[in-house]
Amino acid sequence: MKRHYSGLIFSLLASTCLFGQVKLSVNTIPKKVDVMLDGINIGESPIKNERITPGVHKFEINKEGYAPLTYDLLVNPAQAIHLDFFLNPIYQVKFKTEERGLVFELNGEHQWDREFIRLNLEAGDHFLRVFKLNEIIDEQTIHVDQPKKFNYYLKKPVSEE
Amino acid sequence: MLKRTFRHLFHVGGVLFILAVMSGCTLLRGPVYPDVIYNNRQPLISVTYEYGEIEVRLPLNYIGAVPDNISFEVYAQGDTSNPIITILQEAPRVFIAYLPQGVLDIHNKSNLIKIIPQDTNFDPVSIRFQGIRFGRIQLPPKSIRMQQLVVSGRVFLNRNDSTVAGVNVSMQNYDNVIKEIVTNDSGYYQIAVPGEYKYAKHLRLVAGENLIFKPYKQLLDFSEAFRIKVNIGVGPSAELADPLYVTNRENVQFREKPDIGAKTLFLLEEGEPVSVSRVTPGEYHGSIEVEVNQKKNVQMNGWVYRSDLILLDLNNIFKKEIRDETSL
Repeated sequence: MKRHYSGLIFSLLASTCLFGQVKLSVNTIPKKVDVMLDGINIGESPIKNERITPGVHKFEINKEGYAPLTYDLLVNPAQAIHLDFFLNPIYQVKFKTEERGLVFELNGEHQWDREFIRLNLEAGDHFLRVFKLNEIIDEQTIHVDQPKKFNYYLKKPVSEE
Repeated sequence: MLKRTFRHLFHVGGVLFILAVMSGCTLLRGPVYPDVIYNNRQPLISVTYEYGEIEVRLPLNYIGAVPDNISFEVYAQGDTSNPIITILQEAPRVFIAYLPQGVLDIHNKSNLIKIIPQDTNFDPVSIRFQGIRFGRIQLPPKSIRMQQLVVSGRVFLNRNDSTVAGVNVSMQNYDNVIKEIVTNDSGYYQIAVPGEYKYAKHLRLVAGENLIFKPYKQLLDFSEAFRIKVNIGVGPSAELADPLYVTNRENVQFREKPDIGAKTLFLLEEGEPVSVSRVTPGEYHGSIEVEVNQKKNVQMNGWVYRSDLILLDLNNIFKKEIRDETSL
């Protein structure tokens, strides 16, 4: 039995020595983020001198205030691999309108009808649709790159101006 | 009691006031949408690979001579027709090559370095080795030597052309024996010496030092070839008539006339065959064979003291000390 275990340990060590030869380093922006590799926490970024085997691996990074990141990577046999992850921040945006009876929809799935609301939006572009009496009356893209206040107003027809 | 009641009311009122202020602020800030709204923007990710090099180090030992240039060809994965790298350089003490990561077979010795000296005097050599993924490979030293010089042939009796086994044959530089062998049962020999003697001026083949005849000696010239064939004839030729004697010591005087003070034609080596034609009480008159140009022998007549000759027994031509090994 003891011999059986020692053989198993030896084969595990041998396979680790043979194949676990790619040095891994991970940097993230922001720093000090827990990095999950194939479901196992390998530490807080920046990570240096970690080892990874060639093949497919899954990286997962979660931090409050940033969009969660999942990344599948095929690691080639190499001396080292360096990964840099730039997390997308989530900004709080105040959305306000003075128009009445409107329903707003972001990215085709999030709806509200309040005239003033606070939204937590991932940085980048979001697609806004505006409904009135179940009809689309406006479409536009909102670009979010910082916390800001968004005032929505309907463009009036030229004849009314 | 009244004081305590007022204090309670004061505390309750304070808490109510704080709650009112907080709820008022929340109302002022507005409600919060319950979910975080993602746009599924692709995050910015940078992946950088660092590939290691393979450093191959092969120490080289040059024996005798050093070629001017050497071409090194490195093959991998058992492919011996398409080198992954070819390097022509002056003969180095240590051959160093840098290869990209992952090109070598890391499981078997199917990788190959061909060392091809750019000099026909040297033989190409090859080294098989097992690779690594990256890092340094230190190979054991390899010797580079000139092609061997080979002389071969058979040893035979001049008298009847029969081959002779057990005859000492050596290759000598000046009087230094480089290599010595004996002829095999068929009377054949082959001697190989290092190529560094290729241009030696005093390289010679000596045969028959264990025979009663004078040894056969011939200068060897390897400047044109690495292999030379020399058939060695020992003893008297068929033209030398019986009875035959041989000199029994060095510097035997072979004189023109039997008289005291007669002119000495040759000083004969030990083992020189003499065909005796006349006998006097103290001397023999006979003929010896003298080699002239292009290995042509001529016979010359002269006189030798009887005490300097012994009768030749062609059935036993080996010197006494190794007589047991004789054969014809």
